Amino acid sequence: MTVSAPIEKLQAEAITIEERSPFQVVLRRFVRHRLAMISMAVMIIIFIITILAPYITTYQVDEINVNNYFVPFGTVDPDTGRVHYLGTDNIGRDYFSRLIYAGRISLTVALLSVFISEIVGVVVGAVSGFYGKWVDAVLMRFVEFMLTVPTLPLLLIISSMLLRNEDLIPIPESVLNFVGKIMLLNPRDTRNAVLIVVVLAGFGWLSAAQLMRGTVLSLREQTFVEASRSLGGTNIWIIMKHMIPNAMAPIIVDASLALAGYVVAEAALAFLGFGIQDPVPTWGNMLSATQTYMFDKPWLPLLPGIPIFICSLAFNYIGDGLRDALDPRLKL
Amino acid sequence: MTAYLIRRVLQSILVVFISAVATYVLLSFAPGGPMAGLRQIQQSGRFKITEEDIARIRASFELDLKLWVRFSRWLIGVPKGPVTIGGQEYFADVVVGCRKPIEAEILNSNGVPEIIVVGCKENVYMKDLVGRRTSKGILFGDFGLSWRILRDRPVSDLIESRLSKTLQLIGIETILSLIIGIPLGIYSAVRQYSKFDYIFTTLAFMGSAMPSFFFGLLLILLFSIIPKGAGLPYIPAGLSESVRDYTIPLIGDVVAGSVKDRTLHLILPVTVLTLINIAGWSRFIRASMLDVLRQDYVRTARAKGLREITVIMKHALRNALIPFVTIVVFTIPGLFSGAIITESIFAWPGMGRLYILALGDYDYPVAMAIFFILAVLTVIATLLRDIIYTIVDPRIRLT
Repeated sequence: MTVSAPIEKLQAEAITIEERSPFQVVLRRFVRHRLAMISMAVMIIIFIITILAPYITTYQVDEINVNNYFVPFGTVDPDTGRVHYLGTDNIGRDYFSRLIYAGRISLTVALLSVFISEIVGVVVGAVSGFYGKWVDAVLMRFVEFMLTVPTLPLLLIISSMLLRNEDLIPIPESVLNFVGKIMLLNPRDTRNAVLIVVVLAGFGWLSAAQLMRGTVLSLREQTFVEASRSLGGTNIWIIMKHMIPNAMAPIIVDASLALAGYVVAEAALAFLGFGIQDPVPTWGNMLSATQTYMFDKPWLPLLPGIPIFICSLAFNYIGDGLRDALDPRLKL
Repeated sequence: MTAYLIRRVLQSILVVFISAVATYVLLSFAPGGPMAGLRQIQQSGRFKITEEDIARIRASFELDLKLWVRFSRWLIGVPKGPVTIGGQEYFADVVVGCRKPIEAEILNSNGVPEIIVVGCKENVYMKDLVGRRTSKGILFGDFGLSWRILRDRPVSDLIESRLSKTLQLIGIETILSLIIGIPLGIYSAVRQYSKFDYIFTTLAFMGSAMPSFFFGLLLILLFSIIPKGAGLPYIPAGLSESVRDYTIPLIGDVVAGSVKDRTLHLILPVTVLTLINIAGWSRFIRASMLDVLRQDYVRTARAKGLREITVIMKHALRNALIPFVTIVVFTIPGLFSGAIITESIFAWPGMGRLYILALGDYDYPVAMAIFFILAVLTVIATLLRDIIYTIVDPRIRLT
């Protein structure tokens, strides 16, 4: 008797699994995705560097060091003693400082675009899927229409027009000031960046809306929605309390994949000359501006290309990891 | 099925029409048309430009016509002038535009001076349109005249030579991607969790995350600039053929414009497009093969004692290709968009590069024509996808 008691206790412990909250389950699954974890770490480092931009960089973004074009890596400025870690570009601006500020601007553009497009997409998709009938018909025909139009050529037309006619879309001063503070730009230069966000998000919400609508359509038939309705839940209540939280998993995955897309899209627009314009640095326009020096100074275009690729890859891996963690059966 | 087709075709026409209207309106509000430079010259006072000169130039760009008249003439080539029915002219005195607008400078809300049109000194009437040079309308294949890139030459001249260059790129790209991508995807799925599969999925993942402009620059550096500097055989980059003869070590002399020259210039842009395309397509084939390989009919086929190759090629692959076909058809218009970026990297004289040039150079008739062609291609591809869906998979019925 005295011996069997601890054994029973041991057995009981062996078969009981520690209780975990859904969040813990997701976190455990995500942590197991090695590449996603590495990507997460890389992105955190990149974010920290760009947030600390004013303390890390030695030069101003648009500070032109006259007669010091294309100086090699690690050149020390004889007058001020500051170091050009990555040399200077074709008009004598410190390349290292510009790369870091560019990261700050490129990533802010991507994050803002994702934020806006996912919110618009979720609202439109939820309303469309939930109310059905003519609301759904009108909204979804519109989304389908937008998706049949060739995206990149239309993006180029719209951004070329907006860039030449910057006052066409009125942007509140407060928004410009707010975004300008994040990007460390003056309001005038910020307008350019905000316009690109508007253009990118203007196309980005379409897929999020379709995704959200599909999820809501399947959720609408679930018994818990019926239960909520029978208890007197209003439409708004059901959407806010049941639809959106339950549809969050695919939206979060979509958002992280979209982040990768926006980083590349912003760079591609800038590369083609219809993105954020020169005095403001972004990885894309630095790459396109120095492209012509490819033959004798190949590092100039390659250096800004590397972070674009890294961010795109990392956001893709994070999205992949999130998808596996949130819903292993989910396929996008 | 017929009813569905008719409905879809009508829908597609509507989509093309709406996107044509939208972009036409967008571009006509974009500043910096042919008149902007003229106004600067006029203000600088270096040349004497009379009101009459301006009116003439405005007329030559049709800028004196109202927006809807211009649009209609651009789209379908009417109105050409008064309508004559039974010897009687109609609508001859309808105002269709303004020859000499009265302009006034005002300060807009931001305090910036802006020139607005406040009235009209001399109207353009329908009867004035007679004898004006007009296009037959973009719907009938007449894209009008270029404003700047090839001034006063038909846009179709510009596009014709460029289109074949782009089709060359895209054609080779599509064929190579299919030939290489499908077997890769199949092999990777059949040997799931093997070392090959692991390497393949990692590379394909990287490939689909790789921005094409960066990839293009890397290839130029690795296969053109570095080997050339080191005196090794290299691949020429930039343009579709070189301007003068050159010599490549081991390959020998290359005559500019020869087949050899043009083939060499194709290699890099095609590689960029193909590798990125393969990354997407073969991942898709792999996923869809993995799906099919788990199906009961595959197990049945194996149980019957069929050879593995028959099971994979006949039972699995055929079913796995169903969704793939639609993906391929649907990415084809996207290939044109992809070509825009790749053509820009390699200065390839194709449609995509022409589009960028036209947008940057304010040559709106050219930009509009290319956009219109792309929109039509996209819509046709969407339609094709849905039709092909029913052909390859009889289980799907369209209503």
